[in-house]
Amino acid sequence: MIEYFVRRLLQSVLVLFFITVLTFLLIHAAPGGPRQIYLSPGLSQEAMAVQAHNLGLDRPLPLQFVSWIGDLLKGDLGYTFKNHIPVGEIIWPTIGHTMVLMGSAWLLSLLIAIPWGIYNSTVEYSLSDQTASFVAYLGFAMPTFWFGIILQELFALKWNLLPLSDMWTMGSEGNIGNLIYHLVLPVSVLTLGFLAGYSKYSRSSMLEVLDRDYIRTARAKGLNERRVIFRHGLRNALIPIITLLGLDLPILVAGAALTESVFNWPGMGRLFVQNAVSREYSVLMAVTLITAVFVIAGNLLADILYALVDPRVRLDRKGGSAT
Amino acid sequence: MRKRNRVTTVLTILAITGSLLAACSNNNSSTNNSAAANNGGKNTTTNETPATNNSTNTNTNTSTPDPNAPVDGGSLTVGTFSDIVSINPLYIQDTSSGDVSTFVNANLFDMDRQGNVTAEPWSLAAEAPTVSADGLTYTVKLKPEAKWSDGQPVSADDIKFTFDTVKNPESGSPGISAFDKVESVTKVDDKTVTIKLKQIYAPFQYSLVSSLAPYHVLKDVALKDLAKDPFGSDPTKTVTNGPWKWTKWERGQYLTFEADPNYWGSQKPHIQTLTYKIYADQNTEMQALLKGDIDFTSAVPLPTLDTVKGKDNMGVILAPGPQYEYLEFNFDGANFPGKYDLFQGQKTRQAIATALNRQGMVDNILKGTGTLMNAPFLPNSWAAPGDAAVNYAYDAEKAKTMLAEDGWKPGKDGILEKDGHRFSFELQYNAGNSRREQVAAVIQQNLKDVGIEVTPKAIDFASWIDQNVTPGKFQALLLAWVLNTPDPDAESTFSSKYFTPAGQNNGWYKNTKLDDLWVKGYSTVDQNERKSIYQEVAKEISTDLPYVFLYQYGSPMAFDKNKVHFSDTDKPESSLSYGYFFHLINWWVTPAN
Repeated sequence: MIEYFVRRLLQSVLVLFFITVLTFLLIHAAPGGPRQIYLSPGLSQEAMAVQAHNLGLDRPLPLQFVSWIGDLLKGDLGYTFKNHIPVGEIIWPTIGHTMVLMGSAWLLSLLIAIPWGIYNSTVEYSLSDQTASFVAYLGFAMPTFWFGIILQELFALKWNLLPLSDMWTMGSEGNIGNLIYHLVLPVSVLTLGFLAGYSKYSRSSMLEVLDRDYIRTARAKGLNERRVIFRHGLRNALIPIITLLGLDLPILVAGAALTESVFNWPGMGRLFVQNAVSREYSVLMAVTLITAVFVIAGNLLADILYALVDPRVRLDRKGGSAT
Repeated sequence: MRKRNRVTTVLTILAITGSLLAACSNNNSSTNNSAAANNGGKNTTTNETPATNNSTNTNTNTSTPDPNAPVDGGSLTVGTFSDIVSINPLYIQDTSSGDVSTFVNANLFDMDRQGNVTAEPWSLAAEAPTVSADGLTYTVKLKPEAKWSDGQPVSADDIKFTFDTVKNPESGSPGISAFDKVESVTKVDDKTVTIKLKQIYAPFQYSLVSSLAPYHVLKDVALKDLAKDPFGSDPTKTVTNGPWKWTKWERGQYLTFEADPNYWGSQKPHIQTLTYKIYADQNTEMQALLKGDIDFTSAVPLPTLDTVKGKDNMGVILAPGPQYEYLEFNFDGANFPGKYDLFQGQKTRQAIATALNRQGMVDNILKGTGTLMNAPFLPNSWAAPGDAAVNYAYDAEKAKTMLAEDGWKPGKDGILEKDGHRFSFELQYNAGNSRREQVAAVIQQNLKDVGIEVTPKAIDFASWIDQNVTPGKFQALLLAWVLNTPDPDAESTFSSKYFTPAGQNNGWYKNTKLDDLWVKGYSTVDQNERKSIYQEVAKEISTDLPYVFLYQYGSPMAFDKNKVHFSDTDKPESSLSYGYFFHLINWWVTPAN
């Protein structure tokens, strides 16, 4: 067990290192990379050389990489080239904002999707089940930002019931009621997106389990249906769902760039878009890296949870000693 | 229960989607004043709830405020779609920082509507600059009452410090090129400086339309660390000298400014609070304008213009800005197959200008926000050439004749040929710019009509600038110049002394007559003499055509006209840079109820 964790952990660190190298190289190879961009176009060649030197951009790439990684290990994400603001100061608050938005939507969708999916597995092809299918197809097919614009048109512009965008009304930062009021539209949009996957997934996972011999045994023992579903069915059906949740973890942090942009939500997705437009590469590198860390951590967590919940996984990988 | 409701909502939405787009353009029934209610007065902690929203939902047509009676107080929320970088006057480069700088930084001199340099009541200088008889020395006198927000007087040291710092490459200030003609800056007394130039250089007057950096705050900072100093990015450490002071920067979200109670000017600002609100993109910003979350925007994208115009409370100003678009020819044969420059014949270039329906582009693509141009001088500036520049009226038949006269003959496929060279070229522009995309298509069609094959090619902006525009490697391109000052001098764009990368002549254009005229143009400070020189430039350049000058263009401004007011003398002036905030100090807003 411990050997398995350690091996997965080492793999993750290695992957992370390759990602940092790639991120760094890609950004420095981009047309009009840092050198051209941080330096004002009006400057003379001489003045540009002075600036490049002041920003450390005239050093060989490997050296720049080593110093970047060195700072990174100390938890220093560097400074923006344009106005020398610590990148961390810019990024950390947006992660919080994104987690509030994505976390709400995620939680809400789980609270709806899992019970609904389970219920539907017991009443296959009922009205409820078919509605769920319809909602799922809608959620898959409809671009979330487009759905967001429609909701804005209706609820904010036409009927004037809800705020159009932002996280707070200016001056009301920190007011929970105000926050919830602003959360309604973007959370609805994102929830629909999540709902689609989770409800289908929990339904099919449950259906698969309900077909198993041990469920039939439980029923044959004369257990009541509720007990069969929850004690015997649900516990096993949840295993693949947990995996899915682990894999989706990074979304909570990376955010939904389009939805955040449509609703002007000051999260990390929107931050990335803004900085891609203004080509502030120090921020782009940091966002990419943080997202990568969460993707890897999510995968790791899913694997570990899986191994914990389902003993067969671990045994299989250890060398097939399972019977 | 909950899931049923959700499903119904979704179905309802689907059902009305079809009629939605039609409906939103004439959605005037519920004019919304929530922004006014929320940001009104000094109370910035108003909490928005649905109830207050509805209660402010009253008919806005009942009370038309007297436009001649300014009131003090209230707030103005300006929308934008990118955050500032820094408002340190030494490093301002992007539009957002420049916008905000007009709120908090007074200029040494300002410009009038025609772009003349003047000392306004809110300028730091007491009177217009005086120039010595030899045209080399400028004397600038400060107003005795001018003060920084920390109470220190604005002094000659500030001017000297600012100009000396910008001039020094070590500081990395983007303004350096404007000061390379400066020999020395000398403090005469606490309120007076003289600036001596190395040569007569008339455009220098516009370098004086500049804000200042506070010497007493920054004097001990090493030059190379100036850009990193919190002055300019931390509101509490940014000392200013304009009508408003900077109170808050919620990064990526908004900035706020309050009228400075200690502002030195005899004329105080009417508006109490300014908010500079940042949106993720222009579409989101436009939604906020329609909703009433913002009161003013300097740029409405053309596709949204009709929707904005359709709202009763929206005031729209349609006028081109300080920028013009052009079709540039490359004169370096190396960029063409067989090293044969297709554009070398003057008559050929004139024929191309004649073949293009420029007026059609202005009417159909620019939707009334453009003016035809024939020379690189803005039609409404003091240097406007008027009839001195040759105007090529659209005439395809005439263009064909001109091409034939220059030796072009139709080949087998109908495309013109000369000495075995097919008249076919690539027209580059930046991907994602819908205006240029449309113009490129018109050019392609217009030139096809006269037997020239054009292949429009859209390239990602960053790589385009890097690989084609700056190194001068293209056949023809579509681009624009933004003119930071109204000065007509464009030597570094057109003179053969300024081939890229030393200057911006990236089409390798050489015309010795023009080279000399540009020098003549800036070598006198006599405005009338300059006017006549630039008339000559206009005539020569519009005959020789290094570019086909297309049009001056701009973005419409829009504002809530029930809330934002200005008299006719103080209205926005689109043709100046940052002219959308022209005389902002004299504007006023209807206070929230």
